[in-house]
Amino acid sequence: MAIIRDIMPAFELFQPATVGDALGLLDQHGSDAWVLAGGLDSFDWLKDRIKRPKVVIDLSQIAELRGVKEVNGGLEIGAMTTLTEVVRNPIVKEKFSILATGAELAASPQIRNQGTIGGNVSQDARCWYYRGGWKCYRAGGNICFADTPTAVNREHAILHADRCVAVNPSDSAPALIALEAQMVIRNAKGERVVNAEDYFVGPAIDITHMTVLKPGDLLTAIRIPATWAGAQFYFEKVRDRQVWDFPLMNVASAMVVNGGNIEKIRVVINAAAATPLRLTAVEDAVRGQPRNTATGEMAGKLAIVGAEPLRYNGYKLPLMRNLVKRAISGVEEPKWA
Amino acid sequence: MAEKNNMEEAPKGISRRSAIKGVIAAGAVSSSGAYLFRTSTVRAQQSAAGSVERLVTLNVNGQQRRVDVMKQETLNTTLRYKLGLTGSKLGCDRSECGACTVLIDDVPHYSCSILTHTTRGKNIVSIEGLEANGKLHPVQQGVVDEQGFQCAFCMPGFVMATVGFLKVNPSPTRAELAHGVSGNLCRCQDYDKILTALMKGAENLRKVS
Amino acid sequence: MPAKTTPNDSPHRLVGKNYQTPDLVAKVTGRAKYAEDYRVDGMLFARLLLSPMAHARIRSIDASEALAMPGVKGILTADDLPAPADAITDQGVVIPANKLGDRGLTNEPMYQGEPILAVCAVDELTCAEAIEKIKIDYERLPHVVDPLVSLRPGGPNARVQGNVWMRPAAPPAEPGKPPLPPPPAQVAELKWTEEDFAAAKDGQMPMGKPAEEWSFGDWEAGLKSADLVLDETFVSPNTSHQPLETRTTMAYWQNGKVYVHTGTQSTAQTVPAIARWLGLLDEKKQPDLTKVVVISEYTGGGFGSKITGAISAVIPCLLSKKVGAPVMMRISREEEHFIGRARPSVHGRTRVGFTKDGRITAIDMYTICDNGSYDAQGDGMTAGRMASLMYQPPAMRMRGVSVITNTSPRVSQSQPGGFQGIVVMEPILSKAARKLGIDPVQIHKINSPEGKAEIGPPVRGKRPYITSSFIREALDRGQELFRWDARKAQVKRSGTKVRGIGVATSCFVGGSIGFDGLFVIKPDGKMYVQSGIGNLGTESVHDCNRVAAEMLGMPWDKVEIAWGSSTKNLPWACPSGGSQTTHAMTRAAYITATDAIQKLQQIAAKDLGGKPDDYVVANERVSRKGGGAGMSLAQAAKRAIELGGIYDGHELPKGINKMTATSATALAGQGLLAVARDTMPRDGLTHSFVAGFAEVEVDLETGKYFIKDYLAVADVGTVLHPHALGGQVLGRSVLGIGHALGQKWVYDQHYGIPLAKRFHHNRPPTILDVPSNMQWDAVNIPDPETPIGARGIGEPPVGAGCMAILNALSDALGDDVFRRAPVMADSILASLEAGHPMEEGLTAHI
Repeated sequence: MAIIRDIMPAFELFQPATVGDALGLLDQHGSDAWVLAGGLDSFDWLKDRIKRPKVVIDLSQIAELRGVKEVNGGLEIGAMTTLTEVVRNPIVKEKFSILATGAELAASPQIRNQGTIGGNVSQDARCWYYRGGWKCYRAGGNICFADTPTAVNREHAILHADRCVAVNPSDSAPALIALEAQMVIRNAKGERVVNAEDYFVGPAIDITHMTVLKPGDLLTAIRIPATWAGAQFYFEKVRDRQVWDFPLMNVASAMVVNGGNIEKIRVVINAAAATPLRLTAVEDAVRGQPRNTATGEMAGKLAIVGAEPLRYNGYKLPLMRNLVKRAISGVEEPKWA
Repeated sequence: MAEKNNMEEAPKGISRRSAIKGVIAAGAVSSSGAYLFRTSTVRAQQSAAGSVERLVTLNVNGQQRRVDVMKQETLNTTLRYKLGLTGSKLGCDRSECGACTVLIDDVPHYSCSILTHTTRGKNIVSIEGLEANGKLHPVQQGVVDEQGFQCAFCMPGFVMATVGFLKVNPSPTRAELAHGVSGNLCRCQDYDKILTALMKGAENLRKVS
Repeated sequence: MPAKTTPNDSPHRLVGKNYQTPDLVAKVTGRAKYAEDYRVDGMLFARLLLSPMAHARIRSIDASEALAMPGVKGILTADDLPAPADAITDQGVVIPANKLGDRGLTNEPMYQGEPILAVCAVDELTCAEAIEKIKIDYERLPHVVDPLVSLRPGGPNARVQGNVWMRPAAPPAEPGKPPLPPPPAQVAELKWTEEDFAAAKDGQMPMGKPAEEWSFGDWEAGLKSADLVLDETFVSPNTSHQPLETRTTMAYWQNGKVYVHTGTQSTAQTVPAIARWLGLLDEKKQPDLTKVVVISEYTGGGFGSKITGAISAVIPCLLSKKVGAPVMMRISREEEHFIGRARPSVHGRTRVGFTKDGRITAIDMYTICDNGSYDAQGDGMTAGRMASLMYQPPAMRMRGVSVITNTSPRVSQSQPGGFQGIVVMEPILSKAARKLGIDPVQIHKINSPEGKAEIGPPVRGKRPYITSSFIREALDRGQELFRWDARKAQVKRSGTKVRGIGVATSCFVGGSIGFDGLFVIKPDGKMYVQSGIGNLGTESVHDCNRVAAEMLGMPWDKVEIAWGSSTKNLPWACPSGGSQTTHAMTRAAYITATDAIQKLQQIAAKDLGGKPDDYVVANERVSRKGGGAGMSLAQAAKRAIELGGIYDGHELPKGINKMTATSATALAGQGLLAVARDTMPRDGLTHSFVAGFAEVEVDLETGKYFIKDYLAVADVGTVLHPHALGGQVLGRSVLGIGHALGQKWVYDQHYGIPLAKRFHHNRPPTILDVPSNMQWDAVNIPDPETPIGARGIGEPPVGAGCMAILNALSDALGDDVFRRAPVMADSILASLEAGHPMEEGLTAHI
């Protein structure tokens, strides 16, 4: 079949007004259904005619999926809340600013105005072979084109690659994991709650999916507990362009420091592997240590143990090392005077 | 039109009555041909919850416009090929360049990357809707004052992004406004002059509001 | 930074002043119509089927199933295209057609993404579904996307005929006759030896047998006598032009004429181009200008990729004829990546000798140009020509080869070749300044051209020279405005950040000659100017006419400009491109205004007595010098109609272009008609210059760097329109800056398939990648060889923008951190970590 891009195939469209109706439609159409949140990721697949769902279920009309509620000192964010709404929310800003920082660094203003927090954490990999329609492992084939001798893989994984070397590109996901967020998932049978770090799946477990969502599942909300409210946060995204670019790598940390020592900490890195990585070994190593450059440097070195660069992404090792260091001991701002 | 489950009127509570009035006011169903899209190949299930009708009413530039919209049709296609509003340009069709930017309920969106059906019941403003009483919008006037932009294919998008941003931040610094319009790409690339023109537009707007 | 200085202190009434261009309100209200904004009754759509392979031959096409689909109206394949037509000059010299050129559709796709056929249907969805039903039997052919791979012994050839363009030497001129032009370039096979490759040390570009070579002076002695010789390899990127408006075209036929709505840099010159592509030739085998109407009031960017529109425009034209209905062929952004043209990458290796004072003694440059799949690209050799002007070596050898690859077609992009020359040379100047302990501004000044400086190799025994250069004045101005000396004294490192400052100079052709002007002063007292320049927003389409209005004392609000459609009786004009326009078309305006003044003086003398010389034209009147009798221009226009002949255009001067003559004839009898061709003398070749200054700040822990400040100072002769000039100077600076920051192509060499097709892959700069305040200025010294003194400016800012940034970056980081552009966080970080350049220097498209 000859290939042609840039014209969306016809599909049946449903715009349910309630979660109940949406779940009913998902149940009815099963794997024929495509869930549309903000649509910014979906439209690429559809316009490229690579994904051809018979049915598209647009969640945009479901009011109950939208908004930020304060719950027990924490937050419940509807999955369809836009990134802009998350960024501008006063409680997010005040207590969980790391999420606002991460979300604001995603994409562009118009995308944040339409793109949702649920969509941002559930987005697909951006490997240019996979997105170009190459029949790779992730697309159900039996090769990884990004890991051949001629592959150009500057933006690919250095950790936990298993056949597929694509990375997770989300900017909000590491912030949510750092905040110990939980993902609320519903389907026709009921509701389940998954820790944010367990929401993402790597290729060793499921090479064709980025998250635990199965056909019929809907991510309805993200809960942020009060645990890390007002903690010390660090978020940094390194990207080639200062807007509309995916991370070469990003890092998020939440920390409670007592008497100069790190009492509690969570550190998460993304775009290093197919899932955002919570660096538990680093957390264990720095807990109880003084928050200083030496601890940061030790953590950075520890973070990249076992990392394996591809032909063009060796820079990600020092980048990850330095970002983890900065996430723990901060960045020394210049004093030009 | 099916009475039951007619989502067209659901989202923002525009009543069927007011929608019909709007239609009468605006004249007739827009019928500028079947450019680009034809009938869906998938059979609609009109009885299911959330099913969607093809004939919809859109509120564009203050007018109720009745229009036949395909399920997979983007707002940019509807504006450009059904409603004759070609001011919103299509630079990439992939939400990357911003030439297609319009306001939906005052918020800038890439019209290439939103389904027209998603915008029912919302107020859509395109570049053609900015002029009032034969006068340029203050932001448009800022561009004229500073002879901003070159080829101007990106200009409608930049202007719309600016108008939307100024509703949130009416007195931006240059750097803040740059962030506000950073979802728009210019390939002639005198971003300095663009910012000068848009800052002048912000100043013009503050004077009149 | 000081406040921006704009040269708006012009002594003229119109020239040098800001004004509102007549197209601006239409643009800002969305009423301006670009090609895709037109609708015609019964309009059909067309979409393209693109080659999935980098190189193949088509054995067969089975479109039967597609054509049987309801709504499908027709198909167009390469077999439907007219054969490439030879060109014949006015002097009758035949320029044979390039049989290996791009024709729009092909049966031997030369690159992945090349259009093979087009399907026309009632809507795009039907087109797409029909295309998916077409079966094509391909015979895969060898492919190569990397020039150095193709040059290796036994390396693949991108074309069946070979892998390089060779230009045979021009035949010797017969005594007493003008020299013959060189025959067209031919495709041949060129392979280098294993020894050639082995001789290159790590990171150095290998150098085997060149395809082209020139030299002047004793370059070997120059290098031998030098106190410092640097031998550096540097690689510039392939970058797509990426105008924001793709090359969408809508076409229909009426009464034997084809009406083409498309984007172009030249309304006038696109008419014969399309006629030739469509095979619409007259009995003399010249393009039949009466058969083609080009409508292009607004064009959404070109940068060299739409000089005479796009050859893909023939597809809707021919489909429309075939199916008997208007056809709109929208070009998607991805298709634009394939067919929208790009700047060729150049690998350069250059040896430069310096005295200890920093003066260049000799340059020995070798460039490999990644030619792409079609027409021969001259960027590689132009790089040397522009280096010879910019750095004034007393002796130089230039060698080059343009290697054909199975990649998308290349064409001139802003500062073609000149950009690559600056990119290859500037790192060497920057390094030499550090090694010799000379200030970077100083080393540029020491080596910069002044006055009628020489350029390129000798022509018939003598080196050509330029009209003027005031780049030293630009460097002085920039040094002061940028507070260069104060910045030099700044602390360089603090925390994880290090900062650096850089300066670069850049040059390119700044004007051509020989075009026509045409306007009519009508009895309503207004001046109606015809402009054949394309409207790209550089404003030359309007600006140049200010000269004529100024000379006639005509208020600007009484000047009406017709542009944008070949039905509007346009004169032959140069395209808005190559920095030619301001120079060429102000000259045309000047000579045409001179024609008008002479005619007005003659009319006045006829009616009021005395000699024509007794009269002057000013303030909308022609009147006797020192006061006395006179008449208004309105009256004179009326008299011109009564007098007829030369005065109202019924009699036309010889030497004007055929298109101009046709247009003038159509306008005859409406008033005083002024028409003329620029035949004014010019001593030297016109070139323009820019000095760029930048400060960058690098984060050593992430490799990310940011531009803190940028200033460009232009030597562009007289400033015609400050707002438009600023747009060009900073706009094209950012085009160059994009080449420093991140724009490039990426291919998987094994499959020969491009990976970076989207904006977020090939990364044109955003508004946040440049400072929110950038500065420009112009020295505003008239060029002595053109009456208005104005030169063009579109090209030189590009190289200065790119290399001021990269020179600032090497000031911050030291030598040998990077050796190709763009320079991105990954290569900086990896190299800093390793202590030597880590990026593969020579592999193409990574």
